Amino acid sequence: MSDKEKILIADDSAMNRAILTEMLGDGYEILEAENGRQAVAILQSATDIDLLLLDIMMPEMDGFEVLAMMNKYHWIDEVPVIMISAENASSYVERAYDLGATDYISRPFDMAVVRRRVINTLMLYAKQKRLVRLVAEQVYEKEKSNSTMINILSHIVEFRNGESGMHVLHIQTATDILLHTLVQKTDKYHLTAADISLISTASALHDIGKINIPESILNKPGRLTKEEFEVMKTHTTIGSEILEKLPFQQESDLVKTAYAICRWHHERWDGRGYPDGLKGEQIPIAAQVVSLADVYDALTSERCYKKAFDHDTAVKMILNGECGQFNPLLLECLTECGAQLHAELSIASDTGNQLHRLADAQHISDALLRESALPGQNHIVQSLSRMQQKGRFFNQSVRCIQFDYDSATGHLSFSAWAAEHMGVPKDLHLPDEVEETGFAPADIARIQKALRATSPEHPYTELSMLLPVDGELRWHHVRLCSLWSDDSVPTYIGAAGQADPAEQFFDYHHDLYHDVLTNAYNRRFFEKQLRKLMEVDAIAMLDLDQFKQINDVYGHHAGDDALRILVSAVTACVRSRNDALVRYGGDEFLLIFPHIPEHIFIKRLEQIRATVQALHMIEYPDLHLTVSIGGVYGACTLDPGIRQADKLLYQAKECRNKCITAAFSAEEAEKPKPNQESDKL
Amino acid sequence: MTLQEFYDRIGGDYKATISRLPSEALIKKFVLKYPGDPSFNQLKDALAAQDWELAFRASHTLKGVAQNLGMDRLYKTAATLCDAVRGPKPLEDASLWPPVVAAHEEVLAAIREL
Repeated sequence: MSDKEKILIADDSAMNRAILTEMLGDGYEILEAENGRQAVAILQSATDIDLLLLDIMMPEMDGFEVLAMMNKYHWIDEVPVIMISAENASSYVERAYDLGATDYISRPFDMAVVRRRVINTLMLYAKQKRLVRLVAEQVYEKEKSNSTMINILSHIVEFRNGESGMHVLHIQTATDILLHTLVQKTDKYHLTAADISLISTASALHDIGKINIPESILNKPGRLTKEEFEVMKTHTTIGSEILEKLPFQQESDLVKTAYAICRWHHERWDGRGYPDGLKGEQIPIAAQVVSLADVYDALTSERCYKKAFDHDTAVKMILNGECGQFNPLLLECLTECGAQLHAELSIASDTGNQLHRLADAQHISDALLRESALPGQNHIVQSLSRMQQKGRFFNQSVRCIQFDYDSATGHLSFSAWAAEHMGVPKDLHLPDEVEETGFAPADIARIQKALRATSPEHPYTELSMLLPVDGELRWHHVRLCSLWSDDSVPTYIGAAGQADPAEQFFDYHHDLYHDVLTNAYNRRFFEKQLRKLMEVDAIAMLDLDQFKQINDVYGHHAGDDALRILVSAVTACVRSRNDALVRYGGDEFLLIFPHIPEHIFIKRLEQIRATVQALHMIEYPDLHLTVSIGGVYGACTLDPGIRQADKLLYQAKECRNKCITAAFSAEEAEKPKPNQESDKL
Repeated sequence: MTLQEFYDRIGGDYKATISRLPSEALIKKFVLKYPGDPSFNQLKDALAAQDWELAFRASHTLKGVAQNLGMDRLYKTAATLCDAVRGPKPLEDASLWPPVVAAHEEVLAAIREL
């Protein structure tokens, strides 16, 4: 990586870019973009741009749109922008400043001005970046010690309670899981990721009031007397008072949340809990969740007065209302996340320490993301840059079609091999450059449909389609993986895909997909693979004339030969990579042309008819084969297309050795077949 | 022809230009690149095709390039035309185009003698 600062110049005029580059001199690494879209693509892939010089009037995407995009992704917080437009109208200048531009250089460019402003802006941002880093590392340290202190404190309480110390950790984990499940169900509590993390941290403090409960009561193996229980109940108010009397940080969210949890984690949904008898949603959600987590963990752990229940029993007891009354919504959450809860709490018991650290890290990272400044920013940038290096290496070395798509920016990129062999640009923007992707519009629609059917749990899907490779359309097997965000409610952010030549795929399955007698594709191939085509350009149905008679007069061996020779004749007339010949049933064959112009299609069919007519069967010199063909053209879906082609075939068979074609029409396809029985000789 | 004479001929301000740009050699290098700049031809084609959006963008780019190179006459004629199609809207006053052509031809002719 070069030490020079990187400046991206986005201007549609090569001359202007050259002048600016020359003016800036050798002290910088200059990247150029000739329109807004390229600029965005560069900003997206390079995380280390130090400054953007941005023109306004540009094709594809103008400077304002680039600024809007930079705002949307918060790049504007890290990359300063100097406008270099020839527009000096104050409305333009103001709008650019409003959108976060740092400075505005008007034309004509003056070298001294350009250099000075660039240096000033870079210096300003460098200082700011250093400060951000400094603060971030300190926040990180502080956050780490805070969490540690909370955990030490909670463990002291636990220790006195004669418990393992796992309880605090379990409560934190269970609270976290329950809250994440809750926000997926409803947004009525307005809980952000930061709130969830805060509540989970504060949950560790739920029992601090027990510090003031006599050990004789706290650790009594038998049932508590009424009086003892009254004393035990005071741990809620004592805990909240401890927090209330803190000499500092009264206003901190952590203290406020911890207060609510300490005081109200024994309230009941029906209002019959303690200490305040709060009812329903009067109980803060933080306390509601911790209360449920507390009960669940108490049931599933061994205590001095009871054995541990297994997960299913515990959940059943809670749902039956044997252990208190809870918000029905939270009970739904408990049912839904039950498996996860069970799994993660079991792990927590085994490897408490490790999980602890993870929880720590999780909280710290959540908190810092909230501050939009990252700790160890350098490490992240470095590891990202290593990832990108690896990505680039694979992208360049892979010898197949790979692509990935970012839905937010519409950026589609192809592997180097794909770009070379499909003749497509390496970087594209959808939907406006959809024509240049090499994918047929109908196939893109199919891909979109397939991706829509995926989910974060089941991100994979696959389909077959024709792709142009080395100037020729070839069958490919396309595997896709949809990509999702890490948010509590994942959103679709794009997809990655790989296309492998279908020959590889189908050859591998040769026996599975080919008819043993004729070597045409078999019906299984049609059902399993061709069905994936939603729309094709043309379909034809072929049938040997008087096949029954051939069998009757010359024997089945002649019939078999006739079919074989028919297939080789037809195969010779069509493009083997693109068009598919399927033995549809008996002597009936289906020809599918995914992409073919109408006049070529008609010519092809006529050619097939003539070729078959000219065939000579050496073993049966008297036998003359003819074929009847029905064909439809014009974007058609498979089943109606086949039905219509089949009808035309029957018309053709009336006269024999004939080829009838027609434009596809959904109505025609649905009409009943005339003279259905006329062919049966 | 010296650069000073060049700027006199095309209606530009040599002194102002040399004070802005890095050096005489570089000015000359950029000026010599002008014939390869596509914006004039883009503008011409856009006007012929009545593609006003492209006409606006091309005249805008031409204006910016000319301004940066200190070709003031070309800059001013292009700027006037650019404002006339701003919006973008159709060019109503066809008389704004010939001065741009003339200024452009003048620059090309002068460059040949540079």
